[in-house]
Amino acid sequence: MAKENLDKILAEVSKAEGQIKPQERGTVNATFGERAKAEKKQRRKVAPRVGRLGPRPKKDQEAAVKKVDKALKPLLLSLEFEPVFADNERKNIQGNIIPGFNKDYQYFLFYRIKTVKKAKGWLRWIAPLISSMEDVLAFNRLYRTLRYHLGSKDVPIKATWVNIAFSNAAVAKLVSKEAALSFGDQSYRQGLAARSEYLGDPTNPRSTGNKNKWVVGGPNNEADILVIVAGDAEKAMLEMVHRIKTEAERGGLELLFEQAGETLPGRLRGHEHFGFKDGVSQPGVRGRASDAADDFITPRYIDPTDPRSDLFAKPGQLLVWPGQFIVGMQRQSPEDLFTAAPEATNFPNWARLGSYLVCRRLRQDVKAFWEFAIETAASIGLPARKFASMLVGRWPSGAPISRTPGADIPDLGADDLANNHFLFDDATRPSNLIPVPGYPGDTHPQAAADLLGAVCPHFAHVRKVNPRDSATDLGKIADSLTRMIMRRGIPFGPPVLGVGLPGPSLWKKQRGLMFLCYQGSIEDQFEFLTRRWSNSTVQPNVGGHDPVIGQEGSQGNRDRFIVVPTSPKPTTVKIEDEWVIPTGGGYFFAPPIEAIAGVLGA
Amino acid sequence: MPLLSRFETPAALRDFPVGSPFYDRWSEKISELLGAVELPGAAGPEPAPGGTSVGGFFNPHLHDHNPVAERVLVWMGFPRDLLITHRDDRQRAFELGEARGVTERNTQVEYFEWRTTREGERIKKVTFVTETERYWQEMFDFDPDRVLELYQTLVDPTITMEQITNADGSYNPLNDWNTSRGIVHYIVNSPQNTLEAAIGLVQGSVGRLPDRHVRDNYEITSGAPTSADPRVFIDVDDIARKNLWVTFAEAIGLYMIAWDDTGWTKPDGSPVGNYWRIVRGQPGAALRLEYEVPAAEGFDVSDIKIGGRPIRFGGHLAEHITVSVVGRAALP
Repeated sequence: MAKENLDKILAEVSKAEGQIKPQERGTVNATFGERAKAEKKQRRKVAPRVGRLGPRPKKDQEAAVKKVDKALKPLLLSLEFEPVFADNERKNIQGNIIPGFNKDYQYFLFYRIKTVKKAKGWLRWIAPLISSMEDVLAFNRLYRTLRYHLGSKDVPIKATWVNIAFSNAAVAKLVSKEAALSFGDQSYRQGLAARSEYLGDPTNPRSTGNKNKWVVGGPNNEADILVIVAGDAEKAMLEMVHRIKTEAERGGLELLFEQAGETLPGRLRGHEHFGFKDGVSQPGVRGRASDAADDFITPRYIDPTDPRSDLFAKPGQLLVWPGQFIVGMQRQSPEDLFTAAPEATNFPNWARLGSYLVCRRLRQDVKAFWEFAIETAASIGLPARKFASMLVGRWPSGAPISRTPGADIPDLGADDLANNHFLFDDATRPSNLIPVPGYPGDTHPQAAADLLGAVCPHFAHVRKVNPRDSATDLGKIADSLTRMIMRRGIPFGPPVLGVGLPGPSLWKKQRGLMFLCYQGSIEDQFEFLTRRWSNSTVQPNVGGHDPVIGQEGSQGNRDRFIVVPTSPKPTTVKIEDEWVIPTGGGYFFAPPIEAIAGVLGA
Repeated sequence: MPLLSRFETPAALRDFPVGSPFYDRWSEKISELLGAVELPGAAGPEPAPGGTSVGGFFNPHLHDHNPVAERVLVWMGFPRDLLITHRDDRQRAFELGEARGVTERNTQVEYFEWRTTREGERIKKVTFVTETERYWQEMFDFDPDRVLELYQTLVDPTITMEQITNADGSYNPLNDWNTSRGIVHYIVNSPQNTLEAAIGLVQGSVGRLPDRHVRDNYEITSGAPTSADPRVFIDVDDIARKNLWVTFAEAIGLYMIAWDDTGWTKPDGSPVGNYWRIVRGQPGAALRLEYEVPAAEGFDVSDIKIGGRPIRFGGHLAEHITVSVVGRAALP
């Protein structure tokens, strides 16, 4: 790369970094009073069906319709009756699934089972170390209470958590082939390497992203077990990693690969390596941790008098039934935003309360991303930071471009009760929030209607993977809720942003994202989002590839393009470089905790 | 903007010589189907939210509205209701996507139908169509011999006039060569895959949702379990809520806009070649599409794997084909 280009990139990313402020989270745990039932009833008025009419269905279609009706019959569970996670459930669900570890330091250990008998012994050893949903919820409650009473984010409690997940091959080794085959998710049974090309990964064996070059998870180095260690303190986390590795050596396990992950430092905290705030938009899991009416798994911030309190936990955070992330629990109806669908049935009994885990080690080429952004922006007459933010759909601070098309608003990006509150197709109305001490309210400009993608383009990453209020190629909005995933990623590698002028050796070091997500179906969630939306030029809406993570792989072709909404007419921009490169991972299943020793280690 | 002088045939097909009177006949038929009167969206029993105006539907041949944007509405070709009904058993969904025999297309309700050509259990070719019965009926009424000729070209050269007509000589859209032995155009009637149904769906969606208090799409609480119907009515109503008028963009039709064979592999594991062939229509607006492996490759469709899974049904391909209709938004 020419030096002047490098300097331009550094100047650009430094400007971006300079805009970033520390994240300021909301400071209270919401409490709720009685629901406004009258308003809810009014909202629940069901509009008549709109669509084609036809003659009476033929016999076989009648049968199909009946099946649809049976499958989709609303369970009529309103907010007050969202499922209570029973004591046994809270203690069995692994904590990184719900509510999530959310720790600054994480470590990933990829193991292969060499000796089954010894490995079972190691599983019985590690089982008591596995952190449950109950553990993490209890810590989070205590943390919030202390933070509230101390009036500071510097709370003197720390935790180190451990979770574990197994490939389908590992289930076959540890339990039986029949048990492995009884998992209904075919993608899980196949494994990530077998699905790599389907996800658009490079098929050319010489390409750095080709699965044969992966550091782990390729055809010859697939991991059986993934251990995740996470902590507030690096030292304590590494001590736990050391304990686990030491026991694993005695336990018939071969360490294939290990990767440390760490939240980026300083003002880049919460951002990924390209400089953009990450993980802003997560689904909210419906349900309560106890019989108490307000003990929600996902804290609620929208005032009960606002009908949207039945749909959102906080502004922009859609509520989804837990079976989308925990197998064996009620799932989201694909037909109705509010109601549940029956739980899945295609898994072995012992796996109930587990979750499918996708891990992708994604290398990020910061230079390639910003070089493309700067050069393309110049060619179409847009400021580089503006254009880069259009690729993402958010400014580096996390502020949605839908709410502030002209310039970044760092305070908006840092405001968790505002930075995810926007629609695409219609003008966004303010939400009525419960009183939040110290919070002045969402005073930032609201998003205007952008049905045609003139502000936030249809290719923008945030619009591709979360179409929000937009209809999609699968039709209604409720269907999009069944595609959501619970992201649990963390950056790895040293940053180049915010370090002045990094030298060649720093540029050469690998950096990227340990992408992890939990879901009830790999095929219908992670793979759907990746292949059907990010990698498509026409889905969910016509406008080109997702330029951040989207890949093209049809017939070996790698070229991507985006249609930029320039005036007077759109500009089609070809993308030849790749800046998010798969380098490893795997498809796993995070079982209920009692199954680790009781079934897999038995 | 001046009125549209004449409606095009789907994908600007030229099934008759340029200058044939057929083209005027087709245009008149389209104009008739779109209707002679404007359909204002605010005609419902309640006013629009906030008292704002709501757009309507218009026939661009008869009514003048300045266009401001085009909106491509896309949806998945494979029937969504099968996939959500059989959420835990996808293979069952694909089996139901093409029951064998006369009724094999009954579940193909997304304005998209296909037929799988097999030798024994091996799939040799899959043919996808988005052609409407209306177009073929109009062609037959104009020139039956030309329709026979097209059948012979597209399906089988031995087809006779008797085989595609009723006893009284009228066109039989449910003839064997468009049902059990071949495919030419839509036949599914519940719900109807017809041009009339598509036009009615758009007209019925323009600011005319029964719940007039809709302010955003989260407030729309109903819809058929297909991909196509909610896709259309949500987007069309959305445009009308912005006080824009809606019509179809030329050339009016339902099209296959794209298909994705990423991750489809040959028996040796390498990416497949381009085995798609647009038989009628054009790129971005295909009306008849075939997928067949050239003989020189030495294998057939059944040998191809999608994401490591063998192709067993035409629906395995249909899932990766995107159907579209293009709407136009115009000022009041």
